[in-house]
Amino acid sequence: MLLLQLTIANVKMIVRNRQALFWAMAFPLVMVVIFGLIAQDRVSTTTIAVVDYAQDDISRQLIQNLAEVESFDVDVRQDEAVARDEIADDDLNFLIIIPRDLTSKANRTPPVEVALIYDETTQTSGVILSAVSRFLDQMNLEIAGAPTRLVLAPEGILIEEFSFIDFLLPGIAVWGIMSFSVIGVATSIANYREKKILRRILATPLKVRTFFFALVLAYLGMALIQASLILSVGGLVYGVPITGNFLVIGLFILLGNLVFLNLGFIVGAYSKSVQAASGLGNLVVLPMVMFSGVFFPPDALPGVLTSVVQFLPLAPMVEAVRGATLEAKGFSDFPLEIGIMALWIALTSLVAVKVFRFQ
Amino acid sequence: MSEPVDEVISVESLNKRFGDLVAVDDISFSVRRGEVFGILGPNGAGKTTTLECIEGLQEPSSGRISVLGTEVARDPNTVKERIGVQLQASAYFDYLTLTEILELFGRFYSRRVPPAELLSTVGLEDKANTTVGKLSGGQQQRFTIAATLVNDPEVVFLDEPTAGLDPQARRNLWDFVQSINSQGRTIVLTTHYMEEAEFLCDRVAIMDQGRIVTLDTPTNLVRSLPVPYEVRASTLNEFSSNGLADLDCVTEVLDDQNRGFRLRCSDAASTMPALMDWVAKNDIKLTHLEVTPANLEDVFLSLTGRALRD
Repeated sequence: MLLLQLTIANVKMIVRNRQALFWAMAFPLVMVVIFGLIAQDRVSTTTIAVVDYAQDDISRQLIQNLAEVESFDVDVRQDEAVARDEIADDDLNFLIIIPRDLTSKANRTPPVEVALIYDETTQTSGVILSAVSRFLDQMNLEIAGAPTRLVLAPEGILIEEFSFIDFLLPGIAVWGIMSFSVIGVATSIANYREKKILRRILATPLKVRTFFFALVLAYLGMALIQASLILSVGGLVYGVPITGNFLVIGLFILLGNLVFLNLGFIVGAYSKSVQAASGLGNLVVLPMVMFSGVFFPPDALPGVLTSVVQFLPLAPMVEAVRGATLEAKGFSDFPLEIGIMALWIALTSLVAVKVFRFQ
Repeated sequence: MSEPVDEVISVESLNKRFGDLVAVDDISFSVRRGEVFGILGPNGAGKTTTLECIEGLQEPSSGRISVLGTEVARDPNTVKERIGVQLQASAYFDYLTLTEILELFGRFYSRRVPPAELLSTVGLEDKANTTVGKLSGGQQQRFTIAATLVNDPEVVFLDEPTAGLDPQARRNLWDFVQSINSQGRTIVLTTHYMEEAEFLCDRVAIMDQGRIVTLDTPTNLVRSLPVPYEVRASTLNEFSSNGLADLDCVTEVLDDQNRGFRLRCSDAASTMPALMDWVAKNDIKLTHLEVTPANLEDVFLSLTGRALRD
C-alpha cells in the first residue's frame, strides 16, 4: 500500500536523522532527570542539632521522641559553641540545648529552660517549634504523674498530592512532542523545497497531499513513541503515578499534535531555508513552552496573560494530557480543552492548505 | 487522438507570463520519436519554463501542448505516467539509500523498473546502499538520471543535466544520455553549453528572450551561417596583408597584426589553396595555421548579436 510505504520511508528518514532524534527523545529525558533531581532535593529532612548536657533518662527520651519524627534528622553534638557558630553561618537551622540539671530541678519552680536556637527566616521553624513544645508538654505531664485524659485521634485523609516531578512529567512529554513536530516538519518541508524534492514529486503522478499525509502519519507515530518513552521513564525511575488510560492519553496527544504538525507545515512554507525554518520554529515553540503550563500552572501568570495563554494550543493539550495521565481523567473532563484543540486544528489546517496552494 | 505516430511532443503557440514578465513568448515546435532534442540558450531564455510547461509542472498562460497524444492541460497524470523528469539542480532525500529512493519513486507509478537495473544503467550499482550526500557531483547527476527512468518512460526530460560538472564528468554523462537514447527513448534536454548541444542533439532549438530564434540540426545551423569558417595563422616575419581580403571566398579579415592574421571565409575548401599561393608569393613563413568551423556559439551570436554566455 502506497501510503504505508511512504509513511515507512518517512519514519526511516526521521529515525536516521540522529541529531533530530536526540532532541526528540534524549533531550526531554535529560530534562526529566534534571528536574527529578531538583524535585528530590526539595523533600529533604530538617536537621536538628542537640547538645545534651543532662545525659539522663528524660533528655534521652526527648531526643528519641524527636528522632522518631520522620522528617527530623537529629544530630547530637558535644560542642555548643561550634553549633552556635553554624547557626550564625546558616549551616544549621535548629539547635536544642538541654541543661545539665534537667532531672534534679524538674519538679521545682521556676521551670527548667530547654533552649531552642533557630534562624527566624527558616520557613519550617513553626513546625519545629510546635513539635518540640508538644514533646516538652508531654514530658511535663509524665514528670508530674498526671494521667492522660485527652488523646488526639488523628485521622488523616489521603488527599492525592502530586510532587513537582509528577506535575512536570506530562508537560515535558508534550513539550518534547511539540518541538519535535513543529521544528521537524518545518525543517523537512524547507529542506524538500530547497532541494526541489516537492517539485520532483509534483512531476510524478503522486498527489502531493498523499506525500504530506504520510509525513503527518509518521510524526503522529513518533509522538506516541516519544510519549511512551518519556512517561515510562518518569513512571519507572521517578515513581510518577501514571494511572490513566493509555488510549485516552494517546488520543489527547494525537489531537494536540495535529495542531503542531500543521504549525510545522505553515512555518516550513514561510521559511526560505532549513536554518530559517529551525529559527522560526523555535520562535513558535519557546513562548508556548514558557507560558503554557509546562513548568508551572498558567494561573500563576498575571491575570491577562493567563486568559490569553489558556487559548494557545499547548495549554489545553498539557492540561488534558496531565489530567489523563495522573488523575485518569477522560474526554468528558476536558470539553473546553478538546474544543480549543479542535478549533486550532481547523484553523491551522485552513492556513496550511492556503499557504501551500499559494506556493 | 490523431497525432502523427512519429511526433511525441507538439507545442503550439505556447505563452507563459509571470505578471509583466514574458518568460515564453509564443513558441511552437514538435519533437519526434527517438530523437535527442535540445533547447539551447542563455540563462533566463525561457528554457526551463518551456520544459516545465510540457511536464505539467507549470500552467501555460496560453497555447496547447500535447505529449504522446495526450493534451497536458487536460490529463496531466496520464502524461506524468509516461515521462521521466529531471529537474535543474534538484536533489533527493538525505536519509534514504539510492535503492530506497528509487523503490519509493517507483511506487508512484503503475509501471516500474527494479532499482538495481536502474543503478546499473548509470554505473552506480556499487552505490546501492549509499545516501545521495555521499556521492560525487557527477554521480549525483547520474543518479538523478537513473531516477527519471523509474517508470520506464518513453520521453525523458533533462534540465541542464551537466551544469556544474567538470569536463570529464560531463563527457561521462553524455555517454549515459546517449545510451538511454539508444534504448529508444526520446530525450528533450536544455543546456547552455553549445558543445553539449552539438554533441548530443539531433535537433536544436535556440531560444533567446522567450522566443525560438532558430531550430534545425546542429550541422545545418552552422552551415546556414554566412561565414562558417575561421582561419587563423601566425607568421615568422612581418608581412603586408595586401591581397588577403581578395582571396577566394574570404568575407572578412578580422585583424592583421605584425606576425599573424585572422579571417573568415564562406568555404574553407576554396580559400585554403588560394591562401597557400598567396603565402608563397609574398614569401611569408607560417609558424601556425588553423581552420575552425563555426559552432552554435557563432550561430547564437549571429542571430542575437550577443554571446551565449556573459
